[in-house]
Amino acid sequence: MIRIEGLTILFESFKIMNFNIQIEEGGFHFLLGPTGSGKTLILESIMGLRKPKTGRIWIGDREVQGLPPERRGISYVPQDLALFPHLKVKENILFGIKARDLDMKIYEEYVAALIEVMKIDHLLERYPAYLSGGEKKRVALLRALAPKPKLLLLDEPLSGLDPSIKIDIQHLLKNLHTSFHPTTLCVTHDFEEAYSLGDGITIFIDGKVEQVGKRDDVFLRPKSIKVAHFLGAKNLYKARILKSDGLLQRLILRVNGLQFSIPASLYQDQMEVGKEVDLFIRPEEVMIIREGKPVKDSLRRNIFEGKILDIADKERYHLVYFQTMEGKIPFEISIPNYAFRNLKLSIGKIVRIALREESLWLMT
Amino acid sequence: MSFRYTMIGAAICIFIFYLGLILSLFYFVGGKGFWEALLHPNTLFSIRLSLMAATIATFFAVLIGLPSAYALSRFKFVGKGILDTFLEIPMIISPIALGAAFLVFFNTPLGELIQTKGIFFVFEVPGIVLAQFATIAGLVTRLMKASLDEISPRYEAVARSLGSSPWQAFYRVTLPLSFRGLLASIILSWAKAFGEFGATVTLAGAMPGKTETMPIAIFTALASANIDKAIVLILILVAFGLLILYGVRLTGKRYRYD
Repeated sequence: MIRIEGLTILFESFKIMNFNIQIEEGGFHFLLGPTGSGKTLILESIMGLRKPKTGRIWIGDREVQGLPPERRGISYVPQDLALFPHLKVKENILFGIKARDLDMKIYEEYVAALIEVMKIDHLLERYPAYLSGGEKKRVALLRALAPKPKLLLLDEPLSGLDPSIKIDIQHLLKNLHTSFHPTTLCVTHDFEEAYSLGDGITIFIDGKVEQVGKRDDVFLRPKSIKVAHFLGAKNLYKARILKSDGLLQRLILRVNGLQFSIPASLYQDQMEVGKEVDLFIRPEEVMIIREGKPVKDSLRRNIFEGKILDIADKERYHLVYFQTMEGKIPFEISIPNYAFRNLKLSIGKIVRIALREESLWLMT
Repeated sequence: MSFRYTMIGAAICIFIFYLGLILSLFYFVGGKGFWEALLHPNTLFSIRLSLMAATIATFFAVLIGLPSAYALSRFKFVGKGILDTFLEIPMIISPIALGAAFLVFFNTPLGELIQTKGIFFVFEVPGIVLAQFATIAGLVTRLMKASLDEISPRYEAVARSLGSSPWQAFYRVTLPLSFRGLLASIILSWAKAFGEFGATVTLAGAMPGKTETMPIAIFTALASANIDKAIVLILILVAFGLLILYGVRLTGKRYRYD
């Protein structure tokens, strides 16, 4: 387990106060925040390149705060990768093993396995200048993993790549993680990246941790409107709690005259009647009901009729812009292409949507 | 005239200007005293002395200049700005003033102590080395700092995270990456020391066979109207100069970096 407690960094205009994070051994944790929020400063402090004002860092039982970078056992892949240009790929990869005076025999098999997973055996004799962007990323990752670090730090690992290569590297990172389980802390501003790779996520905005949790918790249930906005939340509505149905364990909300029902159990007793809240549902959680098809019980409570205002083809999915008849509440709905074709949707068509109760989320 | 030709024309004018200057020297080559001057023991002595003094002065300048350049390039510390500005002192004050300042210094109690208990500088060979060192130490630091600035500190950061100590990161990564730039800085500084006149002649004097470096020998040859000798020496200086420029050119070829 990696533990960072009370990290405070003051640097130029950056002010990071009392930053905490915990990463399970073998975890893939994302530090997700907007560009320029000081995430790289945190990485540099964890690595020991920068002295934080306060804070303690443990790797397992060993406190590393105060140790120089070379004695922390933390590997680092910076955004610009910094492959050593005067060394061949092979020499780059073995740099850490040599620098730490490790026994090459013990690492040989492991490094060979890494090279195989990364598919770079044909590049070993080349200099970094003669590699493509994706190849450079692979080599940099491999170089960082070769000396078996206790913690791997990645700074925006998928930035600056062509879309198709980005997907390749994303798969590779996933494979790498499932095969070798390096404890990883990855910094990014790209929430899609965090969504597809991370098992734990820390949302970091304006020098403060806004939310920590498992991936789905964070994405489906943002703690605040700030987090929701940062995660690109689309369907956000001002709502008022109309009543709390104790018997059915449900909260009834009103948005623009329409009533929504959601399970009360998720919110304990924080939601009194009359309270103003923000209601949120992810675009991919909104379902368009197919004509003539029976609706499941779990969906029955939140069904609304409305009109399709616009449709955008996003290559891998379609975005449907929908507005309820009553209350004129807009919804952005993301549906997979095959479902879009089955539903035979067109602009101006009247359809019904269903919202799964568990997918609706309230923020105070 | 087009923009392009105006600009290129200007560049060619500068080239012709210098080339003409050098070629004009040959007008006097081959005179009776020419070969005599070339093979004269004092001429050979001057060449030897200049080579040796410039090399020693450069060695010491790099010895102190490289760590200084690294510090200025990589670290933040109190007084860095002042220190950086001071490196330019030898470039902005006249070499004669620099040499004179040394003469004054060696007449202070501390300067006298150094001369009596340590090494004698005034009108001695060590004085040449000292004057040249003073002229180039700031320059070589500046030039080397510029080469180090070009190498992203990120390389060292990664090397450290992979287990290198700061020293190892320096000689395994930063040094090889900046090697060509550093070498070019050293060569240029050496050339500057080799041709140094003002500070050297003021501090070490112009004694033939003792402290007469090549530039000083040119001056004394001219002062005594020995044109043949002056031209021989100038041509040798020019030859060295061209060799050096060629050397710097060679170091200018770089690896393909990102």
